[in-house]
Amino acid sequence: MSEIENKGRRDFLSIAGKAGLTTLVAQAVGINLGVVDVVRAQTGKRGVEPFRFAIISDAHLYSFDNHKFDQQLIDAVNKVNNMTPKPDFVLFGGDVAQNGTEDQLAKGKEILSKLEMPMKIIPGEHDWYLDMGAAWRGLFGDETWSFDHKGVHFIGMNSILVNDFWTEPGLTDLERMTVMEMLESPIPGPWGVHDKQLEWLAQDVRDLAPDTPVVIFTHSPLWDYYPRWNFQTSDAPEIREILSKFDNVMSYHGHVHQTLYNRIGNMSSVAALSTSWPWPYPPVALAYPETQMNRADPSIATDGQGVQVIDLSGEFEGIVQYKPFEDSLTPFMQDGFKV
Amino acid sequence: MRKSISKFGGVLAVPAVLAAIVAAGPSSARAPYTEEELQQQMDSLVESVSLGYDLWHGSKPEMTTNGLACGNCHPDTAASNPQTFPKYMPMFGKVVPFRDMVNWCIETPQLGQALDVNSPEMTAMEAYAFKLHRGLPIEPGLASRQTSSIPVESGKGFPHVPTGLGVDK
Repeated sequence: MSEIENKGRRDFLSIAGKAGLTTLVAQAVGINLGVVDVVRAQTGKRGVEPFRFAIISDAHLYSFDNHKFDQQLIDAVNKVNNMTPKPDFVLFGGDVAQNGTEDQLAKGKEILSKLEMPMKIIPGEHDWYLDMGAAWRGLFGDETWSFDHKGVHFIGMNSILVNDFWTEPGLTDLERMTVMEMLESPIPGPWGVHDKQLEWLAQDVRDLAPDTPVVIFTHSPLWDYYPRWNFQTSDAPEIREILSKFDNVMSYHGHVHQTLYNRIGNMSSVAALSTSWPWPYPPVALAYPETQMNRADPSIATDGQGVQVIDLSGEFEGIVQYKPFEDSLTPFMQDGFKV
Repeated sequence: MRKSISKFGGVLAVPAVLAAIVAAGPSSARAPYTEEELQQQMDSLVESVSLGYDLWHGSKPEMTTNGLACGNCHPDTAASNPQTFPKYMPMFGKVVPFRDMVNWCIETPQLGQALDVNSPEMTAMEAYAFKLHRGLPIEPGLASRQTSSIPVESGKGFPHVPTGLGVDK
């Protein structure tokens, strides 16, 4: 697995170095929770040089020309490009495509190429199960990676791996894909990162000190939210155990198409809005219900969608700000929250 | 009940049939449904819910021209809120039944062809949505609140082998 790590890290640093190292000036003024007044361009006690990164997720592009989701992803790219200051880089949270076809993935890559900063990406189930990731890998590279940026260790993993449900019944590639496209399909069962990536993760963080700031990025949440919709990662407990030695771990993920926060042990967990459509909150109680967004208005095509930006301080505290296309946030969420 | 009617029996001319029913207690005017009849009724309902499940997940191409199905935004029919209809919906400017909202979604986000509101297909869409909201209180008029479908255990939902074009072709 080491070749995955080394290649991914090397590729990213070659581009991150060009765009990085810009000075982050005060930009987080007026946070309504009063937790941050100014983010200063100083290295904190944890060795973090403050910076910001953005997340775009769940574009679900179709093959139709001029589909509305194409423009919504373009809008997301423009929204990130127009941020002041600009994020150092962008993470894409999976599901570029809806049906996993190469044309959909290529269209997404073309739109995302307009980002004015480097991007790292992990796959979603909609990207993967037509050809088991062949087209995705050809366009985007390795799905398991790590890199260090301004004192923070970033990890990306493929969390949508399921056990083989297609060989025995003799499903075609298209049948396998359509099963995976359906959120509530009873067929595939829970997904996860599986053993090889767990071994890779353990190796990746083996020599890191406990006070190392760690950010882990996956398509699905690393906690048991609502398994029926795969709002979960089956081996999240093992991931959390491997990362339990760290003082503070931030987990960011896509898939759920909604604002959401949770914390388990040393790990905070933040969900990304999609650029395609919002998903309802499932019928389970949330530990932090105040992080829910307003119910999306179906007559406003882009309500409940958008992007997000995270400012990391020298103390490795994060301010998460959702940037929806429309006025989708409750007053509590409008100016961001601390993680 | 029997005591009450007896009290007024001398004043109100209770029809003989009603009196007979009351005197007979909880029995009905016809023989109870047999187990076989009840099973036939349930089979019909399951058939309708099953059709609704398929339609909800894209089995009828005419319902979309952009690839979207009801299930894109409403997994397990969540946030379709059938038990809150009829209610005022801003896009209509009036109180509408659930089936009108189903057709609005087909025609607007999905850019598809609306279903005949009196068709077995529309009945099936309603049967599926209401099935997954069974037990929730009927509260017409809640226009802005999201309600979810009832919890369904992981991996199993409504017992069904997918047959829809958009699901397993």
